[in-house]
Amino acid sequence: MTVSQAIGLCSTLRLIEPDPVHYDEQFAYLLAALSEVSPVVEAAELGLVYVGGDGLEGIYGGNHKIVDAIMSCVRRATCGVENDMSIATRRTPHAARVGWGVGKFTAWVAASRAKPSEAVVVPLGEERNFLAPQPIAVLPLDTDTHRRLRRLGIRTLGALATLPEAAITAQFGAVGRRLWQLAAGRVVEPVQGRVEPEPIAAALSFFSPVGERELLVHALDQLIARALKHPRRIGWRVHALRVRAELEGGGSWLTAHLLKEPTADAGRIAAPLRTRLELSPPVGGVERLVLEFTGFAPGTTELQLFARDAQAAARAGQQRALRSAAREIRMRVKGEGGRAVLYHIIEVQPWSRLPERRYALIDYEP
Amino acid sequence: MVTPARAPLRTDRLRAVNEPQLVTVELDDSGAPAAVGRLGGSAVGRIECINETWRIDDEWWRQIISRLYYEVMLEGGKRVVLLQDLITSNWFIQYP
Repeated sequence: MTVSQAIGLCSTLRLIEPDPVHYDEQFAYLLAALSEVSPVVEAAELGLVYVGGDGLEGIYGGNHKIVDAIMSCVRRATCGVENDMSIATRRTPHAARVGWGVGKFTAWVAASRAKPSEAVVVPLGEERNFLAPQPIAVLPLDTDTHRRLRRLGIRTLGALATLPEAAITAQFGAVGRRLWQLAAGRVVEPVQGRVEPEPIAAALSFFSPVGERELLVHALDQLIARALKHPRRIGWRVHALRVRAELEGGGSWLTAHLLKEPTADAGRIAAPLRTRLELSPPVGGVERLVLEFTGFAPGTTELQLFARDAQAAARAGQQRALRSAAREIRMRVKGEGGRAVLYHIIEVQPWSRLPERRYALIDYEP
Repeated sequence: MVTPARAPLRTDRLRAVNEPQLVTVELDDSGAPAAVGRLGGSAVGRIECINETWRIDDEWWRQIISRLYYEVMLEGGKRVVLLQDLITSNWFIQYP
């Protein structure tokens, strides 16, 4: 349904702008809370998390106790209440659905069958019985395969699993084989614990909201250059990044990218961001722009990349020397009221017609 | 409580560079600036010539900015920019 159709049906409809930064933060709270239950937490996508339960029986008890612990965590993360669970439940029941089963697929199907703020537990050995009546739509299908399966009269996982594996493979190839294995409960995909990244962030606050695309691109280029110079980046190429913008009037804008080839090249990092700005720019003036490198890949043996890392190492050497010099200057010169005496000039709005808005001083922290 | 989604702006860490400084300006018969003085009374200098003038009207949707700029050369050859805030009529000096 389009917005205009919705307004046509309900004239008092109140439209709420999406706030992806808020969603992202809430999801981060959820991940942090879940990591207290299990050290193995895999964030599959926004709103979908797998929690590894192997070995937790000794801490919590049986499966139901582990599920209870997860539900408490979810409630705490989504309601923001630390101690009083009964109050949290009464006031704002969370909408999260929890599924427990062997392997990620079974757990996901179980969660998708659960009611909001409830859990479905599939006991060990019951996977096949549980999966059999489920519709084939729960499989990771493309529309064409889905249509073909329905035309063959296959509407449930059980119907698919009763067919010979070889026949499905012959009809649908490797994809079909995987679907058959999932439907038959033959695939047990373990939860992959996430590697804790140490993101590198660079931010820029504008004196007045900026809406022009080319100005945002310019600001992004600066942020990328700053983030690439960070000493923590030495020996690492950027693999995942995201940019968030705080908009005038309270909204936000977020874009996250996983680079096909990890890189330390500013141009290659900027390319997807430029495209995103072209295709769907922020819907309002940007007050603050934050770039984060959230995922990294180690440097390779390629000479070019080594050269880049050598440059990064040289920069780190300069950085150390600067840090030492800055420390000495601070010891010798005291600013008014203990304020910093060393500042760094940064471009803020170099395009501004008002000279005082073009550059700014920021505390210098080498 | 759920933490607000929006992180606080850190504009407090930024200090503007080359902010306009309030000055007193003496006008000639035609209304153009002729001499510049500090607020305390000390003179900055007499204006030898006006190189360029321009006007900026901006941000009418927020807090309107309306300024008349003069790029002038002081006696002795120093170049400065004088601006008059057309909302408050105050004069400011800024360095090019």
